[in-house]
Amino acid sequence: MELANTLSQDGESRGGVLAHLERLETQVSRSRKKMEEPQSAQAEESALGTRIHELRRLRDKLRAEVKQHQASVKASTTNVEPDQTLEITEQESLKRKWENVKAILQAYRFTGISGKLTSRGVCVCISTAFEGNLLDSYFVDLVMRKPLQIHHHSIPVFIPLEEISAKYLQTNIQHFLFTLCEYLNAYSGRKYQADRLQSDFEAFLAGPLQRNSLCNLLSFTYKAEPEGQSFPFCARLLYKDLTTTLPTDVTVTYQGSIFF
Amino acid sequence: MDSQLVEARALEAEITALRRACVEPPAPGEDTSRVRKSFRETYQADSEGWELSKDLRSHLGHLESEIQFLSTLTGISIRHYSKKTEDLTSTEMTEKSIKKVLQRHRLSGNCHMITFQLEFQLLEIQNEESLSSVITDLSIIMEPTEYSELSEFVSRAEERRDLFMFFRSLHFFVEWCEYRKRTFKRFKEKYPEAVHLSEGASSSCMGIRNPSRPGFELVIVWRIQIDEEGKVLPKLDLLTKVPLQALELDKNGVIETAPLSFRTLLGVLGIEATLESLIKSLHTERVMVFRQSRPARTGNRRLPSPPP
Repeated sequence: MELANTLSQDGESRGGVLAHLERLETQVSRSRKKMEEPQSAQAEESALGTRIHELRRLRDKLRAEVKQHQASVKASTTNVEPDQTLEITEQESLKRKWENVKAILQAYRFTGISGKLTSRGVCVCISTAFEGNLLDSYFVDLVMRKPLQIHHHSIPVFIPLEEISAKYLQTNIQHFLFTLCEYLNAYSGRKYQADRLQSDFEAFLAGPLQRNSLCNLLSFTYKAEPEGQSFPFCARLLYKDLTTTLPTDVTVTYQGSIFF
Repeated sequence: MDSQLVEARALEAEITALRRACVEPPAPGEDTSRVRKSFRETYQADSEGWELSKDLRSHLGHLESEIQFLSTLTGISIRHYSKKTEDLTSTEMTEKSIKKVLQRHRLSGNCHMITFQLEFQLLEIQNEESLSSVITDLSIIMEPTEYSELSEFVSRAEERRDLFMFFRSLHFFVEWCEYRKRTFKRFKEKYPEAVHLSEGASSSCMGIRNPSRPGFELVIVWRIQIDEEGKVLPKLDLLTKVPLQALELDKNGVIETAPLSFRTLLGVLGIEATLESLIKSLHTERVMVFRQSRPARTGNRRLPSPPP
């Protein structure tokens, strides 16, 4: 552009053009000189620079991947097989055993019956579930003495605890616990079903769900269709067997007249 | 440039390590170092290594005795347990302060002579009001498979994802099996020539014969069934093996009604007394006579539990 300017004024411009040309020439020779200088080292340096840049990028990418990998699958494997190739010090193996033993103690709750040793004896915890849904837990605090006694418990009053303990507590404690398990699981299951009936089928119920505390007697009025003019039916469910979650007697009645 | 070379080498080393960590799960060595670190924090042990292990050893002993106690209390021994946790909380859920976690549990152990291996998934959803835990998958492997009654029960338990029912019914089943074994063994010892156990003490059949009266045999089939609800019930039946001649002589049809009479007797005398009376009856010189009483209604369907 300078050249363009200088061209218009002939007399003075000539010196300007020449000077400019000279300047350009020196610029080129200078850069050529720079290029001629340890070219190998320069090339190497720039190549290394780009390599580092690449490595940095790859490393950052991998770092993010590993973080994600560790965050999404947190494997807390507590049962680690002793690897013979690793040098295991006694302390390490003790610690591993400790972790393993602690885990097994926790795993007992999945059998339905677990417990913790107390100063008096043992506090047994009975877990209940229905159709895979884990429900309430109950505890029975036993005193290890002859005769065995129940010190403390959270069993609801309508479960026949006295009956069951009179029959089995002294002679067969396993049978006592598992029978109690049966009753509690059945009660939990019936209660869960009654609760779900009340909440999930609210639209179908024409009145409140009537039930007793054992949830083995249910009475309710319902319609076949939530809206519309369908006639209400009265249903009465009786669960005679307290160790089951299915009713033994079901009565459905209809009251009213049909209008044509 | 030297510094650049050093940096490049360091980066390369880091990348190889990261690549390895990406593919493999954390090695046991790393795990124990993590454990060691957290342990040290919790116990704040002094530099004496043996002090730490002494504490640990006594604590370990205490825990092991607790497991032994639980095993005796429940009759179930758990030998291995492992758990994996996966966080399924999406960003949407975190905004609503809902947490969703999937746990994969693996459990194995035994209940007397039956060993089991379980794998189940537990889905925990925690919102502001409550925590719900649901077993979403259950798979059970059992040995020995000679108890054919168990395979149907196992598939039913898997279908229902009813983990507690599995253990409960397993316990009652084993209890009845042990009682049956004890009873058969006792009779075999008391009447060695009369009682015949085809498959040894753990068989489900007991044969009663009189060596001086070949051809006559009473076979008691004692099955232990688990119904749909997981209830364990013993079911005893009587089979009679009688020579043709005797059958022809049997005008009152005693042999024919024997199985029914047997059931009645069971309801009245209980299992052991009934079996004993049968054994004794085949040994008397008099021909065995079953009094054909009115068909009793076995009102109490549920037979009593086995004595300890």
